[in-house]
Amino acid sequence: MAENQERTFTPRKRIQRKRRKVCIFCGKDNVINYKDTAKLRRFVSERGKILPRRVTGNCARHQRAITLAVKRARHLALMPYVDD
Amino acid sequence: MNKYELALVLSAKIDDDARADLLEKAKGYISRYDGVVGQTETWGKRRLAYEIAHQREGFYYFIHFDAEPSCPAEVESHVRIMDNVLRYLIVRTDSDELFISPEAEEAPKAEQAEEAPVAEAPAEEAPAEEAPAETAEEAPAAETEEAPAEENTAEAAE
Repeated sequence: MAENQERTFTPRKRIQRKRRKVCIFCGKDNVINYKDTAKLRRFVSERGKILPRRVTGNCARHQRAITLAVKRARHLALMPYVDD
Repeated sequence: MNKYELALVLSAKIDDDARADLLEKAKGYISRYDGVVGQTETWGKRRLAYEIAHQREGFYYFIHFDAEPSCPAEVESHVRIMDNVLRYLIVRTDSDELFISPEAEEAPKAEQAEEAPVAEAPAEEAPAEEAPAETAEEAPAAETEEAPAEENTAEAAE
């Protein structure tokens, strides 16, 4: 029985599919601004599409902020709507 | 009074004087509606991300100003009909909660939530069949306390 106990606590390798990404804006004083295209560029695909949260790992709140910033930047032609 | 920012993209086709006039005109609209014009960021000529009115370049200006909430709409109605303004945008720059993130206390919580299931999972799935063979070697003291729990799992497995 005691041996059984031992077995119970042997570290089993749990297969984790991916390391959960943490929102890079949370807990830091990182500002999201529509004028900072260099930063926004990271949240946009090569074609200029806004990347989904499942890719960027952002929290909902900051993803919304990024979406808004990208859209403003697009309006001012700082970023493309479509990038071929 | 709130803080706002008026972004202007002016045509690169007109000469510098005309462009300066346009900028002053825009500032004039702000002051006309009781806005206090602050500093102006000038980015100068920049390539547009896409063609606007058959132009590939524009001059970027960002005018910061303080005003009452009614002001931006009025200013916008004028800027909208100005010639040689390719794009404009008025946004509020204070009270942007979204851009500040005081969420440091949420991080430890998330970690605890992740650890809990990991600790429980092996106990449930431990194979009970092989246990009796190696029992002799192991500490008997532990047996008294934890044996009942093991028996339960063994029964459950069968």
